Parts: sequence; structure tokens; C-alpha cells
Amino acid sequence: MNPVFDISLHHFLIVSFALAGAGVATILTKRNAIGILIGVELLLNAAGVNFIAFNKFLWHNTTSTSTGLDGMVFTIFIIVVAAAEAAVALAIFLNFYNNFSTVDVEKADELKG
Amino acid sequence: MPTLLNLMIFTPLIGALLCLVAPSKQAAKSIALVVSVVTLAMSLVLAAQYDYHAGGVQFESAMMWIKGINVEYRTGMDGLSLPLIVLTTALSVLVVAASWNIEKMTKAFMALYLFLYTGMLGVFLSLDMVLFYVFFEVSLLPMYFLIGIWGGPRKEYAAIKFFLYTLAGSICLLVVMLGLYHITPNAADSGGKPIWNMMTLQSDSVHALFAKGGTYWVFAQWAFWLTLVAFLIKLPAVPFHTWLPDAHVEAPTPISMILAGVLLKMGGYAMMRITWPFFPDSARLFWVCVATLGVIAIIYGALCAMAQSDWKKLVAYSSVSHMGYVTLGLAVLTRTGFDGAYFQMIAHGITSAMMFFMVGVVYERAHHREIDRLGGIWLKWPGYGGWSLLCFFAGMGLPGLCGFIGEIMVLLGTFEAVGHGAGHTTIVYTLGVLAAFGVVLTAGYILWMFQRVYMGLPKPDYDHYEPVNTREYAIMTVLGVLALVFGIVPMIVFHATGVTFNHLFAMLAVQ
Amino acid sequence: MSVMADKLAGVWPEITLGLGACVCMALGLAKASSTRKLTSWVAGLFLLLSGVLAIAGPQPTSGLILPPQMVLYVKLAVVAVGVVLLLVAAQLPSSWRATHRAEEGIEPFDPANVMRGEFFAFFLFSLAGVMLTTTANDLVWLFLSLELVSLPTYVMVATSQDRIRAQESAVKYFFLGALAVAVFLYGFTLIYGATGFTDLSRVQSAAATTTSPLLTLGIVLAIVGISFKIAAVPMHFYTADVYQGAATPVTAFLAFVPKTAGFVAIIILLSMLPQWPTHGPIMWLLWIMAALTMTVGNVMGLLQTSVKRTLAYSSIAHSGYLLVGLLAGPALLTSGGGGSGAIGNGIAAVLFYLVAYALSTIGAFAVLGCVQVDGHEADSFDDISGLSTKHPGLAAVMLVCVLSLVGLPPLLGFIGKIYLFGSAMAHRGENPAFVWLVVVAVLNSAVSAVYYLRIIGACYFGKPSGRTEPQHCPSRRIAALVCGIAVVVMGVAGNRLVTLARESSQLAQPSQQTPAKVVSDELPTDIHGG
Repeated sequence: MNPVFDISLHHFLIVSFALAGAGVATILTKRNAIGILIGVELLLNAAGVNFIAFNKFLWHNTTSTSTGLDGMVFTIFIIVVAAAEAAVALAIFLNFYNNFSTVDVEKADELKG
Repeated sequence: MPTLLNLMIFTPLIGALLCLVAPSKQAAKSIALVVSVVTLAMSLVLAAQYDYHAGGVQFESAMMWIKGINVEYRTGMDGLSLPLIVLTTALSVLVVAASWNIEKMTKAFMALYLFLYTGMLGVFLSLDMVLFYVFFEVSLLPMYFLIGIWGGPRKEYAAIKFFLYTLAGSICLLVVMLGLYHITPNAADSGGKPIWNMMTLQSDSVHALFAKGGTYWVFAQWAFWLTLVAFLIKLPAVPFHTWLPDAHVEAPTPISMILAGVLLKMGGYAMMRITWPFFPDSARLFWVCVATLGVIAIIYGALCAMAQSDWKKLVAYSSVSHMGYVTLGLAVLTRTGFDGAYFQMIAHGITSAMMFFMVGVVYERAHHREIDRLGGIWLKWPGYGGWSLLCFFAGMGLPGLCGFIGEIMVLLGTFEAVGHGAGHTTIVYTLGVLAAFGVVLTAGYILWMFQRVYMGLPKPDYDHYEPVNTREYAIMTVLGVLALVFGIVPMIVFHATGVTFNHLFAMLAVQ
Repeated sequence: MSVMADKLAGVWPEITLGLGACVCMALGLAKASSTRKLTSWVAGLFLLLSGVLAIAGPQPTSGLILPPQMVLYVKLAVVAVGVVLLLVAAQLPSSWRATHRAEEGIEPFDPANVMRGEFFAFFLFSLAGVMLTTTANDLVWLFLSLELVSLPTYVMVATSQDRIRAQESAVKYFFLGALAVAVFLYGFTLIYGATGFTDLSRVQSAAATTTSPLLTLGIVLAIVGISFKIAAVPMHFYTADVYQGAATPVTAFLAFVPKTAGFVAIIILLSMLPQWPTHGPIMWLLWIMAALTMTVGNVMGLLQTSVKRTLAYSSIAHSGYLLVGLLAGPALLTSGGGGSGAIGNGIAAVLFYLVAYALSTIGAFAVLGCVQVDGHEADSFDDISGLSTKHPGLAAVMLVCVLSLVGLPPLLGFIGKIYLFGSAMAHRGENPAFVWLVVVAVLNSAVSAVYYLRIIGACYFGKPSGRTEPQHCPSRRIAALVCGIAVVVMGVAGNRLVTLARESSQLAQPSQQTPAKVVSDELPTDIHGG
């Protein structure tokens, strides 16, 4: 048994956690709207990785109450919604760009307390 | 009769709606006057029909309002509310007369005033805790507008301050009510439902819950203080009084009259109706603290009054001082003190309204209230000066006038508290002597003010002042006669309250 | 096939709304300007139709997490408030330059620039999302319905007015929204990891037998993510900017629709737990969220110069009050606490207050929307200064709505607050922290009066500025009037709504809750509504 290839649930969870961390960090630090959108995608994919890993390692058995595919199915929905979200986001950015001639979100500071 | 009582509460509201659609300013004023006269007549009929030997709650009517939480529309009159109702309705006529020269948005003014009037009557006549709370809050809003629109230069500040202070108080009350909602179903005869009837809330079965060492004794102590704070703000007592001078200084004269004459009495009335009877054991435990608050209000109010250069502010602080006697009289838990406190409320209702009116008469002509810029008014208007003398001496507590009875009874009642048992003697004497010293201070600031405003030679700029007119003389005459009558025959009030207070005091007396 | 039919049975109102949205989009492309103008009417028609279907249509027989009455209550609330919101928004598209010019025939009709159809379509989609949230019985369903609520609102904010600030607020709204979605999705993965199911009823039974920290963490993350929808701490940052940047009708929409969806979602998630949390991490999470949300809302509300921002912070604060009721949970769990149970059911209080809050705040926004200054919507305190002299009716509506938000009796908001805080008081026996939460809440109500009074003060005591002019929006005035009347009438005689909310909130929980523990409250037959 080669320990390098003995990949368990924990490894997946660590990867997904790292992805989520990278996503949050991106959202919080990037000023470019597209960059932030990438962060959002990272976060959503982290959730997807989680679902697949949980499904594969813990809940893959078909039982009377479960098809053993719940996590996989959820991931497909996440991908679809992420696409929809990206579409809306790009439309909003385009609009934003038309007005501000930039996608640097910190240029927009008209609204203040 | 219950119908008449309910009609009386809502007649002003109907009048308010009529005022809004009145064709002219004059019509609105007339509507307001007619409404106040009619309600006065109603209250007099009720007073005549009230069975003074039986006492207790009469003309009671009840209707389920919010069934899910057992809230009723329940009204009725007893010895505690009757004199205050007559005072309110009587003052109301005078207040409408005093606002006869309001020209700015007259219709709205009258409508708001009548709306306030319904709130005041509702507070005194509701026997359901939630209904009481609703009226207590409803009376807030018109006052806010009456000060905020028709007030002086800093009207908005004063209006908001008034609103926030009172709102903070009623939120304390709300917390207590939430507690009562969950606790009262445990009372023996509640049938598992929350009790809101203020008479049932004073019954033995509820008292058993709140008794010292009882299941809800801790709640009873908190609730006593929370309700007390709510009503001390309204009264107002030091340290919750700071809204009062601002409100009075900015408010137009008739609103000052009703504020000092009736709205402050809501605080005292509510203490007698709620704080003391609901939580008698707490009252017995904390009486020294509360009495100290009363004495502080008396002394501090008088000292502040002495320091004022604004005439109206002086009168406002005198209210703080005078309402201190109410707190003290209630706190000491003696029958004399209790009667005295109640009488003090009635007497102060008359004298403070009159004092504010007297200030208003001069302010309307001089457009300022600086005591130092006035002087010699008596020589200018001897008639007005004469009534002023009576008015301020009644406020000072001169024997033979109404202010005297309340103060002297509270002082006597305070000394009677020596009977509460060993260990209290020093405290009682200290409190009594300090309160008596307050009388001296009162005499001091009133006489000093009187000398500066009324004595001496008239100032040259008085020449173009309009003479005091008949309407104004009529108002001051009525108030002056009332001050005199209540000073000579105070038994009118005690006759009305006697039986009710016997019952009320039975549960408060220190065993 | 019958399984499919049964699944569809519960969602006919949503399907109707979806159809309505498609029809609106098609109508928005019509050649004749008069046909395009029918869009709002059609949207209203479909909205009413879905309400009728919700009452009279086929009822779902199985597979609901929430009790059927509660689902019905929320759907009807969405329809009723939705109609008011539609009245507020009906004339909004005409205020957009391109749409307006196409309508007046100044420019030829260009489908790329005219967005009337899309606006009402998104409006209906978002409402359908709220309805779907209530019927959710699967994590996927919950996720998709919450997305369906939010995605249209991003576009509605972005296109709501021709000003740059709308773009800016849409960007802010979108990013925090996307972050929030990802956070609650991550929570969902942990729930799945802990229980192995996405089907909520199976999650429920799995959670009853095992206690896993993973499940708790999952629910915590999900609640934190959903706090974006209800504008609660820690995801409240966008609120003020977005409420100010969006056109007033859209702001009113945001104040009700996502909030309702969020609270329904949190109720669903919490009912996964074997017992409503009165101790432990989730209870403390909600406790801290509630306390912080109302405090942040009210303190920040004091500092604003814009009425819309003030109302935005008021919206945050009200989420805090709602969280108090949510925390109190479905019913009195101890029998020793007394109480007849009418006050004590926190979920009923939340359901009631959502509508009470919605009517009050939409009324206030509608009034703002009826006034314009220098061609823009009223925003700052100066803009509504002296409103009472020029528009006494609008000022009166503002007055009652704002006072209802303060919680002054006998208005609607007062009854709502009593229910919310009273339900938390009912739990003082189990955990004294509830009493302190109520103390924080009432202190906050007192503080909030300061900024609410500033709004009233501006309307009534301020000097009228000559620049204010009325906006020609008859339906918006009607909406304001409806809200004003509802706030007063339902406050004085609104027993019926209380009863409805109460009947609808008998949450079924799988275990731990023996019938003796649920307070047996006989349902009040009220004297007003019959």
C-alpha cells in the first residue's frame, strides 16, 4: 500500500477547506470585480468538492432510503446555479463598466453613511 | 351609567374628528369648547351618581378585546379616579378657553388637544392593564405634536425629549406586563389565563404570588422598581425630571396648563393604581428608598426653582418640587400620607395650571419671561396681581388655600411613619425635617419671584401692552375660586376617595 | 407518476407565478406601447391567481417539513404583501429614461433598452422563490429556492434606476450575496456529511438519533449564510448601501421578500434539530446574532442623514427583533412557566411580525417613493422636510407607519413586538439568557424611537423645501394608503392575523416533544374577524 496514493476523506476536506479559504481571501482582498467573481466560484466549488467527497467516502451505499447519489446530484445543481450566478454577475459588471469605465469596485463610492 | 362613562371617554375623539373637518378656525374652537363643556357635564353627572358610601369601582363595563391573551376593554370609576376625572374635565374647559387665541393651524391644534383629552380620560378610567397601557401611550403622541408644532424656539428638542423619556418609562412598564402575562396564570383563581383586570391584580390570590418569600418575590421587586421608574418619569421625580423644564418652557400656555395639571397626575395616579397595590410587599421593603427619592425631589426642585431667571422654568421646577410630596406621601405607607399625596395631586392640578396661565398672560404681551426684566405688574394690572397673589400663595402652601392641605398631610404622614417600628425613627425624622425644610424653600423662591415680578414700579415698556381681557379674567377667576374652595373644604376630595382608600390602604398598611 | 403529481400538488401557486413571469417577459416585447403597459396588470393577475390556487388549489399531502397551515400562511402573506409591493412598483419602469422615451414615442422601441417585462418577470420569480422555500423538503430544493429569491433581486437592484448608485449598490449586493450563498452551501455540505441525506425529513430523523458536531457546525454555517437574506449581523453590511442605491419600490421589495425567505429557511433548518435550541452553540449563535443585529441597526440608525439609510438600519434592527422570536421557538416547552400559550409561541410571533413589519416599512417606503426632489427620489431628511404642509395624507401615512415601527400601541407593530418579546420571556425558566435578550430588545426599541422621531419630526416640524414635487404614481399612493390603514386597523382589531399566525405555526418536531410539552392552547375565536 503506497501511502502517497492512499487518499482518504480528510484529504478531500482539506482541499475543499483550502479552496474555500482561498475563495474568501480573494473576495475580501481583490478590487477587480472579475477577481472577486473567481473567488465566488472557488467557494462554490469548495462546496461541490465537499459534497462529492462525502458521497464517495461516507454515503455511497444504496439503501432503502437513499440512492447513494445525493451528493453528486447536489453538485450538479451547484454547477448549474454557479453558471446562472456568473451570468447575472457579468451582466451587472458590464453595466457597471459602462458607467464607471472600470471594473475596480472601489472606484464606486457614491453611497456612504 | 357605564354607557355614559364610555361615551365620555370617546366624545373628545369624535370632537377631534369634527375639528379636522370643521369649516373654519372659529368652528373648530367652538367644537372643542362644546366638547369640553359636554364632557364636564358628563363627569359631573357621573360624580353625582357615584355611590360614595359603597365606594369601590362603579359604572364598570367590560368587553373582550383580544381574546387570545385575555385582554379586555374594561372601564370603570372608583374613588381614586373620580376626583381626577372631574379635575381633568374642569381644566379642559379652561384649557380650551386659554387656547382661544391660537391662530396657527387652529383646527389641528384643537383636534390634537381633544385626542389627548381622550387619552387622559382613558388612562384614568381604564381598569384593564393593557388598555391602560394603550391610553398611556396614546396620550404621548398628541403631546409630542402640540409641543413640537406650537412650541417655542427649541420645540423639536423639547418634544423629542418628552417623547423619549416617557417612552423609556412605558417600555419599563411593558417588561413588567410581559412578566405578568406569564406569571398571573399561576394565580389560584385565574383559570390558567393571564390576568389584566387591575382589580383582580390587587386580589389576595395574586398578592400571594408576589408576597415576600413567595414564588415570584424576585420578580415583584424588579417589577416594583420598573413600574415605579415608569411613573416617576411621568410624575416627574429627580433624577428623571429633566424633560419637564424643557417641555414646559417650549410648550404654549394651554399645553403647559394641561401638562402640569393633568399629565403629571397620570404618574401619581398610576403609582396608586399599579405600583403600590400590585406589589405591597415590595413597597414595604423599599419605602425608605422611595421616600428618599421624594425628599430629594422636594429639595432639589425647590433649589432649582430658586436659581431660575426664566419665570416659566421656575414654575416648572416648582412642579418637580411639589410632586416630590406625592412620592413621599405614598412611600411612607401611612393613611395620612396617602390621603395627603392624593390631595396634593388635585391641589397641584389647580395651582400649577393657574401659575402657568398667569405666566402665559404676561408672556403673551411681553414676549419674554425674564424675571429680571419684569417688575411692578401689580400696579399695572391690580386685578391680575390680586389673583396672582392668591395663585402663588396657594402654590406656596398658605393655610386656607389648597396647596396647604396636601403638604401638611404628607408631612404629618411622614412623621407618623415612626410607627413602622424601631430602627426607623432617625430615618423618619430626617426625612420629615428635610421635607419640612422644603416648605421653607418653596416660600423662599415664590416670595422672591413675587417680589421681583409684581412689586415695584411698572416698567416703561408695559405701556403698549394690551389690558388683561375678560376671557383671561374669567379663567383665573375660576381657577382662583377652586383653589380657595379646596383649601377651605378639602373634605370634598376625601369624601370621594374615602371608602376606596380604606380598601386600598388595608393592603398597604405596615403590619 | 402519482409521486410526481403529489410533488406538483404543493407548488401550483409557484408554477402560476413562473408562468406569469414568462407571460410578462413576452408582453414586455410587444410592439404596441399600450400592450407593454399591461405588464403590471398581468403580473398582478397572476399573483392573485396564485393566491387563489394556494387556498383553493390542490394541497400537498406529504413531504412538507413545515406544517401545511404555515406554508399556506406564508404563501398568502407573500401574495398579499406582493400585491402591495406591485402597487408600489407598478409605475417604476416608466421612470427609466429609455423605457419612458419608447413609451412616449420619442424613440423607437428597442427591446434591448426597455426592461418593463423583465422587471415584472423577476418580481414574480422572486416571489415564487419565497413560496418554494416554504415547501422545501430537500436541501437542494432549499438551496435552489433561496437562489431563486436572490438572483432576480440582483438584477432588480441594478436596473431599478438610471443612476450610477444603482449600479454600485447592485455590485455590492451581488458580492456579499454570492459570499453568503457559498457560506450556507458549505453548511449544507456539512449537514449532508453528518447525516448522509439531502432529504430534509431524513436529515431530521438522522439528527434525532445521532448528535454530531459536524451537523451543528453545518447548521451554524447555514444560518450565518442565510443571515444575508434577513439582513442580520454578520452579513448586514450591504443593507444601507443597497437600500439607498436601489429605487424605492425595489428597496421596499428587498425589505420584505428576501427577509421572509430567510426566516422561513432558518425555521426549516432549526426544525432539523431534535429540539429547539434553548442551550448550546446554536442558541448562543442566535442570541448573539439577535443582540448584535438590533444594537448595530439601532445605533447606526441614529447616525444617518438619509431617510432610506435610516430605514435600512431599521430593517436590520427589526431582523434582530425577529430573531428574538425565532430563538424563543415554536411553543412553550416548560409547563411551569405558565402562560396560556398565545404569547409564547415564537414562530407565530415571527410570522405575525414579518407581515406587521412589512406593511409598516413598505408604507414608509411608498411615501418616500411618492415624493421627488430635483427629479430624483426623496432620500435625505431635508427632502421630506415639511411634508405635512404640502401632502398631509402622505405625512399621515408616514406617521402611522413609523410609529408602528417604533411599536406604539395600538398600532400593528406594537402587537407584533409584544408577541416577539413575550415569547422570549416565556423561556426565562429554561435559560435566564432569554430575559437578558428581552432587556436588550426593549432597550433597543427605546433607542430606535430617536431616529424614528427624526423622520416624523422632519415631516411635521421641518420647513417645507420648495424643491419637493409629487411623483405621478397613483398606484403608489394607493399602496401607501393601504399600508397606513392596515397598520391602524389591524392593530386595533387585527386579532385575525394573530390567530392565523398562531394556528399556522404548530411545528411538528420528530422527538423530544411529547404532547404534554406543547402548550395546549385552545385557538382563540376572536371577536372581530370572526
